[in-house]
Amino acid sequence: MINWSRRRTLIAGTAVIALTNAIALLGVAYNRSGEPDSVLQLTQRELHPAYHGWGVHDNSGMALRLDWRLITAERLDINDVTFEYSGYGGAPSWLDKAKLHELGFDLSRLEDTERGHRFYARQLPQPALLVLEYDGAAYQRSLELVRGHAEREEALRIGNPGKKEFEERARHARELLQREEQSNSRLFVIDAGRDAIALRAKYPDRSRYAIVWGRLRLSVSFDKREPKVSAYVSEVEPSEINIPKAQRSAFQDKTGVSTLYPTGSFDVTLAIGKRLEPWIVSASRGAAR
Amino acid sequence: MTPTSRLEAQQRADEIRIFEAELKRLQQDGVVTLTEEQRHTIAQHHAALLAQYAQAFDIDRDVKAKQLSLGMRIASFLGALALAASVFFLFYQFWGLLSTAVQVTVLVAAALGSFLATMWVRSKDATGYFTKLAALVAFACFVLNIAMLGQIFNITPSDKALIPWAALALLLAYTCDLRLLLAAGILCFIAFVSARTGTWSGMYWLYFGQRPENFFPAAIALLLIPHVIDHRRFSGFAPLYRIFGLLTWFFPVLVLANWGELSYLDLDRGIIEGLYQVIGFAGSAAAVWVGIRRHWPDMVNTGVTLFVILLYTKFFDWWWDAMPKYLFFLVLGLTAVLFLVVLKRLRGFGRTADGAPES
Repeated sequence: MINWSRRRTLIAGTAVIALTNAIALLGVAYNRSGEPDSVLQLTQRELHPAYHGWGVHDNSGMALRLDWRLITAERLDINDVTFEYSGYGGAPSWLDKAKLHELGFDLSRLEDTERGHRFYARQLPQPALLVLEYDGAAYQRSLELVRGHAEREEALRIGNPGKKEFEERARHARELLQREEQSNSRLFVIDAGRDAIALRAKYPDRSRYAIVWGRLRLSVSFDKREPKVSAYVSEVEPSEINIPKAQRSAFQDKTGVSTLYPTGSFDVTLAIGKRLEPWIVSASRGAAR
Repeated sequence: MTPTSRLEAQQRADEIRIFEAELKRLQQDGVVTLTEEQRHTIAQHHAALLAQYAQAFDIDRDVKAKQLSLGMRIASFLGALALAASVFFLFYQFWGLLSTAVQVTVLVAAALGSFLATMWVRSKDATGYFTKLAALVAFACFVLNIAMLGQIFNITPSDKALIPWAALALLLAYTCDLRLLLAAGILCFIAFVSARTGTWSGMYWLYFGQRPENFFPAAIALLLIPHVIDHRRFSGFAPLYRIFGLLTWFFPVLVLANWGELSYLDLDRGIIEGLYQVIGFAGSAAAVWVGIRRHWPDMVNTGVTLFVILLYTKFFDWWWDAMPKYLFFLVLGLTAVLFLVVLKRLRGFGRTADGAPES
């Protein structure tokens, strides 16, 4: 065995454990010190429960996930206005080649060659700072797109009286509009960058714009059969936001049963600190919406 | 030479037992004749040594005790894994019901308490079985401690957490002579070095496994460590570094030999796969050769196994569809026979080679 005395081993082991905990906790204290980088007032529309695969009986913890969205290139196409997988990423229209250059992606290969195509397809996700906008222009744009879609479908229904197909389409469009107005998330990823200070200068309203870490991935899509390099937002950090015990009552009804389900409503004040790590400042049961 | 570990003491005790049996045979055949006094002196010396080893290291004095020891080793390994899992699930079961301050206190206290308990068990346990159990629980508590702090405070995941995990595992491994903890420390080291290598290309660190070449620096470092740091006092540590080094090198090569598109190399997929097939065969053959030259059976066995795996995967790729199944398996069988012939020749070469075995 190593020629270390028992005392030295005890000191070394204790030091490793104590120092690691101290560094982690000092980081937390620094993140939460002073004025937060941003403070958002969110509801169940923007936060949904994090389901743990191994069951609630083995894990008593509760966590939320940010329900973030994008105005993707597909949604801007009038035929695909409803195409969206909320919280699962997508290629936003603003993430063009100029922005990718600015973010440091290597775009030196030609995308219309087999080698270039292969190069871009093989790229792995890269970390980037993302700007989340809450209930702002992006949400209004999304609302506008869905509303326009509903109006077009309604006009078609009126123009084709008695035709079941158009009645169904109009009904579906009305439901989409209702969801967009009343329950869909209003939190949109609207920009990306490498410098948090520059992004904050561009988006100074700390109650509407939050800067968080996320990941972008290059991909090759086909625009009218022509290969085109694009990028999509694949993840937003943190994947889960822990609900501390002190805030749990906001997510439970009088019997103590969790209301972290689509019918439950709540208001959450979410702060994002100096290290861009979030925490729940306060939470309360919301009025039924 | 005084043994410094249980394994060394056990090795010496086994040699004494073999010597006694052989001496008895030689005396029966009349090859050697010892006087009563000589016999008594040798027997007394060996008895004193065995008593000393038994007291200091709790060695197995006979074959029966050795068989029981193997059972105890397996039980302590499985017990250690189960206890570590139990600690993990125990915390998850109740942590949501605790306030943040209590959560942090419990996590830090569990990590520190289990480490101190391991040191106490080590001072009382000459066999090492209970120390192994306690050490793995202490390591699990520390991993849980840091991982849960990240979850409680929504800390951005970082590969830097692997450094203190590796440090504690290696500290426990070297001070308590535990290969299980050494393996845990090596795995943390591999993950950290590979993640760092991956981030140099700009990728997010958690994706390091998707570029197999990220593992090569860690593999080289692991193969070099036993050369740079003298491990003769730690039984089984140097082979463990070599085995992990070889596996960390070989599995990425095996993956790249079959899925060239995962490589960093901006070449045609077929060229990359061909290149890594050559590297795989040449590398594993070189490992066998070095293992024979240096008398490292661990390296020889790992090298042979890796060579065979690579060869059989390529056989499958080349001939599974093209050949009738009886012919395919016949080729496999004949290849195994060819291997036996080559290894037999190599064994003969090994016997005649000069130089003492190295640890």
